[in-house]
Amino acid sequence: DALLPPPQNISILSTNMKHFLTWSPVIVQGEAVRYSVEFQGEYEREYANESWIPICECSLIAATECNITEDISATVAYKLRVRAEAGAARSEWGTLKGFFNRITTSLTPPLMKVIADGYHLLVELEEMGPAFQFWVLYWKKGQESRMQQKVVKEVSHMIHLDTMEEGLGYCVKAQTYVEAINRSSGFSQTQCVRAQGGTSMWLV
Amino acid sequence: TAGNNILQLGPCRVSMSMAEIRSGFNSIKANIQARDPIKSLSILSYPHSLHKVKPSERCCITHHLCSFYVAKVFRHCRTEDSYVNRKISSIANSFLSLRRNLQHCHEQNKCMCGQESTEKLKQITVNYEGLNVTSAAIKSLGELGILLDWME
Repeated sequence: DALLPPPQNISILSTNMKHFLTWSPVIVQGEAVRYSVEFQGEYEREYANESWIPICECSLIAATECNITEDISATVAYKLRVRAEAGAARSEWGTLKGFFNRITTSLTPPLMKVIADGYHLLVELEEMGPAFQFWVLYWKKGQESRMQQKVVKEVSHMIHLDTMEEGLGYCVKAQTYVEAINRSSGFSQTQCVRAQGGTSMWLV
Repeated sequence: TAGNNILQLGPCRVSMSMAEIRSGFNSIKANIQARDPIKSLSILSYPHSLHKVKPSERCCITHHLCSFYVAKVFRHCRTEDSYVNRKISSIANSFLSLRRNLQHCHEQNKCMCGQESTEKLKQITVNYEGLNVTSAAIKSLGELGILLDWME
């Protein structure tokens, strides 16, 4: 096989337990270049002769990005590599520098919407997948010292936090927690609402 | 959560991505079990089910079965099916991670082995070595659901 240069700038983008391998395109005049990705977990290095496993969704693809989330499904160190092909020509493997462990994923504060439904304090949270729990903190406005917490494991519906006292303001903030990697995100922006019976509905 | 479980194995407490392992196993279970023609034998459940083991011995058995699967089973289960191989890799790497957590308990003497677990593990090894390596590995992988049920 005539040789192509291997893909460069191989890196991982990992946010909220979604992991993508990306690389720079290999340019060959007048040829369509395709790429193939393989991974190797700690198990393969220690017990399976350092074998590599192809990701069929990312075999001979034109894109310079591959969603590896489904294969990075253990909290161990993974190696990743990608190579280029154009016609009969094929490159050497380009390998990600170092390892990737999902424990390093970046966790963003959850999107959250707080609703005062009459006397009911409700919160709507973003669906982020089965690996995520949500820790929701809420308190009467001005009484931060008496903060309450609710752990939310399923976000398929609106969550009822509390029954509010007439006319009082309540504030809410939330963070995610991923037990598989034992890490939390930062808190979302605090949102405050007021129960009915006050002079007006306001949002701070 | 739907994602993770805390296994309380006597004094040993470990976190495990049970949902991920189960999802991986369930997606290849029929394929793997179809490769096991010997229906009359069991590696894990003969002559007695895992459920007969005393709670105090659960950690020891879990730790040793993790090592058994990592060292003896997964490596002999490679197939011609790329999807199956990916799922086996996923389960194997999760077991490797779990074994590391159990190893900490073992080092802190929270995972002691008694006579019952030693005999049970010996029996599993005898059952395993009663078949050729590939058949034994495929049968053991096909029985992973038994182990996961017992662990949970």
